[in-house]
Amino acid sequence: MNQRINRVVIVGGGTAGWLTAGVIAAEHCIGSQNSSPEDSFHLTLVESPDIPTIGVGEGTWPSMRSTLQKMGISETDFFRECSASFKQGTLFKGWRTGANDIYTHPFTAPQSYNEVNLAPHWQTAREQINFAQAVSPQSALFADKLAPKQISTPEYAFNVNYGYHLDAAKFAEFLRKHCVEKLGVTHIKANVTGINSADNGDIASIATDSHGNIEGDLFIDCSGSRALLLGEHFGIPLCSKSDILFNNTALAAQIPYTDENDPIESCTLSTAQSAGWIWEIGLPTRRGIGHVYSSDHNTEERASEELLSYIASTVSEQAAAAATLRKVQFSPGHRAKFWHKNCVAIGMSAGFIEPLEASALVLVELSAAMIAEQLPANREVMDLVAERFNDKFLYRWDRIIEFLKLHYVLSQRRDTQYWRDNCEASSIPEQLTDLLALWRHQSPWHRDTNNADDMFPSASFQYVLYGMDFETMPSQTERRSEQADQQRAGRLFQENAARTQQLKTSLPTNRDLINKIYTFGFQKI
Amino acid sequence: MSNYKILNNDVHKDLRVNTSRSAQLGDNIMYTMTFPMEFRDIQSCYPIFFCKDPESGQLYPAALLGFEQDQNLFLSDSGWDATYIPLMVRRHPFLIGFQANPDGGEGATKPVVSIDSDSPRLINNAGSEEGEALFNQEGAPSDFLQTSIGALESIHRGLEHNKGFIAALLEHELLESFSLEITLNDGSNNQLMGFYTIAEEKLQSLDGDTLAKFNAQGYLQSIYMAIASFARLRPMIDKKNAQLA
Repeated sequence: MNQRINRVVIVGGGTAGWLTAGVIAAEHCIGSQNSSPEDSFHLTLVESPDIPTIGVGEGTWPSMRSTLQKMGISETDFFRECSASFKQGTLFKGWRTGANDIYTHPFTAPQSYNEVNLAPHWQTAREQINFAQAVSPQSALFADKLAPKQISTPEYAFNVNYGYHLDAAKFAEFLRKHCVEKLGVTHIKANVTGINSADNGDIASIATDSHGNIEGDLFIDCSGSRALLLGEHFGIPLCSKSDILFNNTALAAQIPYTDENDPIESCTLSTAQSAGWIWEIGLPTRRGIGHVYSSDHNTEERASEELLSYIASTVSEQAAAAATLRKVQFSPGHRAKFWHKNCVAIGMSAGFIEPLEASALVLVELSAAMIAEQLPANREVMDLVAERFNDKFLYRWDRIIEFLKLHYVLSQRRDTQYWRDNCEASSIPEQLTDLLALWRHQSPWHRDTNNADDMFPSASFQYVLYGMDFETMPSQTERRSEQADQQRAGRLFQENAARTQQLKTSLPTNRDLINKIYTFGFQKI
Repeated sequence: MSNYKILNNDVHKDLRVNTSRSAQLGDNIMYTMTFPMEFRDIQSCYPIFFCKDPESGQLYPAALLGFEQDQNLFLSDSGWDATYIPLMVRRHPFLIGFQANPDGGEGATKPVVSIDSDSPRLINNAGSEEGEALFNQEGAPSDFLQTSIGALESIHRGLEHNKGFIAALLEHELLESFSLEITLNDGSNNQLMGFYTIAEEKLQSLDGDTLAKFNAQGYLQSIYMAIASFARLRPMIDKKNAQLA
């Protein structure tokens, strides 16, 4: 039981596999260790040469910046090789009423969020200005398709917070090269043909068709929704969440720009449909447009009609006529646990849910970071780390599911069965129902998300609630603190308006900045 | 706005250039690009920092002339009060342009002397005694123009030299960002931001091989001149305080 953990084997080489490899290898200095071969730490990634990667997750959170930076990646190389662009948040269309209503969820928190809660002060002006615009400059920037920084801003630094849109296939290849060439990860191309168990039920090794048995102390299952190790071998079941989040099918298309200098969106566009929603993601090379919907509420034929009509109206009739649609089916949900014995699942093997808030890659980053940080020293202490990991990620999955559901339950749409079913009380997690009742009387703030494992800050709840026209009643009695903050709030609204103007005139467009990165690159300082 | 045209001894034969120094003629600049080849002269008058071209983010060495936008502390009613005037200031109203060079093969260019036809320095009056003529009666370049062309050639070489110098500094992480707060006698604060300077701790930890290489390339001398030039800040602050008094 005191066997040291120094051979980690990752099964699967999509973005989940390579991102996990990079995070662990960088933290454990695998590429630069000086210890003798038997003491040293080995990280091996086994990838099937025959199974194509599915390439989910083309949008990231701002957390990806520090994930890449810690791996020693140059942001300039990342932009040049992964067809990356800047993402500053999400713009939602048609979610409230199905007409042309719009709201935004920017990555930047409201002005002075740590000191003042602006939400109650905005309530009195809600007829004049939308919440996101009143408290943050960012939604005005993505309306103009502007970049979050300038070419003279150092790599990974910003004027306003940002994440990325990227080409997932290029990203996996870019990470592979970095992991193998710079971080000392061993890459084996082989098909897994069997799993050999140890006496205690752990995985002793995996059998492969071309490289024999590959032994390890810890196995990370990045094999995709099949969950080769955790699901097929250990039989850990999937907990379905289809009673809460109905979407289980996606139709995806890649649409070229009409002109190579067409502007690039700097946020994800999410447009509600009759039984789901359409995403649009702008890369420098193409737009990724797809429809994610509930197959219980819509037929594939109707869903593809809605998608093609979206492409025809936002891009062109020709683009719609030329589009090839790729269908992906998934069971919304997650494994009953993620770490079992000496095996932990990351990525689609751990679970998958519609990409409404781009939670796929951030869960990979968080899972890999926790494994890297708390890598058990020996087998004896592994079970305790596993238990902590399971608790933490079950909590995180619940929070993600609630936050996604929030987008639906606030809708006033009742035009289709899908939207009516989404507001059925039985489909809403109890904690979300309770929170909504509470937020009728007080707006969310730091007290609502004070757990370090919360996935979405209270600011995100504010953006969605007030973007969706949710009403929080004014306090029934006078509050000393609110009166004290009132003047300050007025000043902050003015400062935000001035800062918005200043940024609008000084920031380049997304397209311009990306072209400059290609020509000049970012400085490191 | 500038409007550069290729210099031509027919079109521009009657032009004269006002060489005096004043804000009206565009000399009210806070800093200007400089080059290692003139560091020796620059550091005797001005502090040398590094800053970024906003259009490309590329770093270049600069001589500091003032503490805020459009302020040049060396400019007075009687002209430019310093023993050396930076090349990039002296070049006006000329610039090196590039023209297709069919002799050099596909895509080749050659440098040509251009002139800013909107420059306030131009005097379009052949009979005037003011300023300097560009060409003599026969259409040959005047001494003034020849000197100016010499300055342009130095700048052309200096730009190339800067690229290598900056790349070497960045490779060894020898630049760091820096902000300076200057409190004047009237209590006002001037904050200089967006500038970079030599990271002296990093410099002191360079290994012998790198130092030898830097010495051979002439970079070592430039680095120490930039560091020494800091001493020029004090006289600038004194100048500013004297203006306030």
